[in-house]
Amino acid sequence: MNFNFKHEWIETNIGLLAVLTMLAISVGGLVEITPLFFIDKTIEKVDGVRPYTPLEQRGRDIYQREGCYLCHSQMIRPFRDEKLRYGHYSLAAESQYDHPFQWGSKRTGPDLARVGGKYSNEWHVQHLTAPRSMVPESVMPNYPWLKATPLDTSDIAERMKALRKVGVPYSLTDTEYKANVAKFGETVAKQLHIPNAQQSLIEQANFGNYDGDRSGISEMDALVAYLQVLGTMVDFGKYKDDAFVNDR
Amino acid sequence: MDLLMWFSKPENTKPLGLVIFFVTFIGIVIYAYGSKKRSDQLESYRNIPFLDDQEDTKDKQ
Amino acid sequence: MAVTTYSGAEQYNFEVVKKFAIMSIVWAVIGMFVGVYIASELAWPFLNFDSPYISFGRFRPVHTTSVIFGFGGSALFATSYYVVQRTCQTRLISDGLASFTFWGWMAAIALADFSYMLGYTQSREYAEMEWPIDILIEVVWVAYLTVFVGTIMRRKQPHIYVANWFYLAFILATALLHTFNNLAMPIDLFSMKSYSLFSGVQDAMTQWWYGHNAVGFFLTAAFLGMMYYFVPKQAGRPIYSYRLSIVHFWALGFMYMWVGAHHLHWTALPDWTSSLAAAFSILLLMPSWGGMINGIMTLSGAWDKLRTDPIMRFMIVALSFYGMSTFEGPMMSLKEVNALSHYTDWTVGHVHSGALGWVAMITFGSLYHMMPKLWDTKMYSRKLIEWHFWLATIGIVLYIVAMWISGITQGLMWRAFDEFGNLQYSFVESVAAMHPFYAMRAIGGMFFLTGMVMMAFNVFMTIRQGKRESAALEAKLAAKLAHA
Repeated sequence: MNFNFKHEWIETNIGLLAVLTMLAISVGGLVEITPLFFIDKTIEKVDGVRPYTPLEQRGRDIYQREGCYLCHSQMIRPFRDEKLRYGHYSLAAESQYDHPFQWGSKRTGPDLARVGGKYSNEWHVQHLTAPRSMVPESVMPNYPWLKATPLDTSDIAERMKALRKVGVPYSLTDTEYKANVAKFGETVAKQLHIPNAQQSLIEQANFGNYDGDRSGISEMDALVAYLQVLGTMVDFGKYKDDAFVNDR
Repeated sequence: MDLLMWFSKPENTKPLGLVIFFVTFIGIVIYAYGSKKRSDQLESYRNIPFLDDQEDTKDKQ
Repeated sequence: MAVTTYSGAEQYNFEVVKKFAIMSIVWAVIGMFVGVYIASELAWPFLNFDSPYISFGRFRPVHTTSVIFGFGGSALFATSYYVVQRTCQTRLISDGLASFTFWGWMAAIALADFSYMLGYTQSREYAEMEWPIDILIEVVWVAYLTVFVGTIMRRKQPHIYVANWFYLAFILATALLHTFNNLAMPIDLFSMKSYSLFSGVQDAMTQWWYGHNAVGFFLTAAFLGMMYYFVPKQAGRPIYSYRLSIVHFWALGFMYMWVGAHHLHWTALPDWTSSLAAAFSILLLMPSWGGMINGIMTLSGAWDKLRTDPIMRFMIVALSFYGMSTFEGPMMSLKEVNALSHYTDWTVGHVHSGALGWVAMITFGSLYHMMPKLWDTKMYSRKLIEWHFWLATIGIVLYIVAMWISGITQGLMWRAFDEFGNLQYSFVESVAAMHPFYAMRAIGGMFFLTGMVMMAFNVFMTIRQGKRESAALEAKLAAKLAHA
């Protein structure tokens, strides 16, 4: 350390004070955030994780819009009680296509990371419309407007294009489509193809009939489709119990 | 890139962070408390908030 | 005497300070009312009234944005403009730009609140504003930095007073955090909807780097700046140790930025990141307490005033809560404690002991000190300040105690096993157990809100009184001039 250095320079020079302050506050973020983008170990190699289908993605948009993340986490921690209550702990790979992440910070309601397939579609529809008719002690708001509001499917291609720009492998060209076929299989790849987006959204909604009402596609269709896929992409039966321990 | 990888290992970053933090911290402490003259100088700045008091309304009533 | 007051008004731009100070109180009333309302929704869910616009998930960001950025932000604009002018003994460099920051900031908060209710949100906690509002904030913030730094450059004092360092660090850090956490891709130039540039684990880390440093710089460093000016002024004696303030400034600024990942313990974030964050969280206790000690020692020479001066009482309670929550925070960042406390109401209680106990109380003290000076009068009612103090203090205690009990109960119920090794409670049993504490929390909030409304009334009457007095003074002067 050079002792001719005068802190007084800093105290009397606003520019220098600003630069040094900036320096002091930048270090922490740089050291902690930047490596996450480069280390292979940040995200595990695991089969099955795929981008959301158009309908699921629209459901996710509604999940965000209604602020579900404020009371429900999507991040199971590696504890015995959480394994019993929610299932296998969450992997980084499982949210690799989540723009933005929805891990949450509060469990006023239970974790939803693996809620997919635990309840029937009918249960979800009834529970979202009037939670206390299914769970009397619940403090969740009623969401009657979801079933009553038709889903806007017109801008689905725009939404997928934006997601493609930030790195989700939705395909726009033939080459990209073929790459998706190789990676996710043909059935999935078709649903990730942007030129067919609106059509495959409607097909999935009609086939799944998530809200139990065939007359049209409602926001409820999309939200339930999203909830039903949560945590179901990775087949943990294929992996040994401690397969992911070293990734932590 | 290699440099970033180096930072990603806790066995590197822990001591490095400690050293950087500690040296800077000691530097600032020596600066602030090291010399009597400078201490007096610094402490005189305590009064800056009171320098424009003539315009205060304190003397009102 | 009248002459010096008038020269004061010309020497400094107090117009913009007055506007921000008034709006900070308005946003406080709005934001705290919404806070009490959503707290009541959790206790009595029928209050959601099946309306999308006020359902908990959309209404909660209205509360956080209104209190943090509306109330806290406006108070920071007001006090920083006030402090920088008085400690540099110079006028703000540009009245126009300062006025732009006022209208721009008000527009951003109002637009944000309405857009949440309509369902536009980035769903990033405390950064829910969608991209057009983010851009507006960015522009306002650059203007703010320009006004603040420009004014310091024009100062008559060679030394920059330490309060201004803290304000500067807050402005710079907020610019940095806001920019990187809000990188997003709009789906269309004419659509409010956007998708975050980052995904999953990187997105989580960026968000909590932002989230915790919003606390560190917006809600701590900046309010320390407030403390370093208004506590000495109200106590009538200079800060206890200027040297300590320098040391703790650099330590705080450096260390805060490392700790965000303690919000992500036991998640899919790589372990080294959250461990590093935990280590720094513990270290952070030292500069935090350095600041607290500096403030308390300043007040300790004036204990006699503490008995008679309610404004001083706000300040000492604020510093005590600052000390308490900066001890609680590092403790909760220990992985073992965090395993219990995370996802529970304990976190909510911790935030409020900082936000109500420290941020709001030091702001009340500072505003009660500053308001009469701005309008050149005295506070309308001292009794109401006393009432405000007690209501606020009781409100905070009720709130925090309720959240401690409910948080720890939740944590313990979730991890309880019966003798066969099965989970002892279903999730919904823990929800049912929370009801009395949610009710208690809402009542604590009502106490705090009531005090706030009293302050609003008191300030309103003070301003009216100030205006009447200056009108009378002007009339007297005019009469004198006419005689001469």
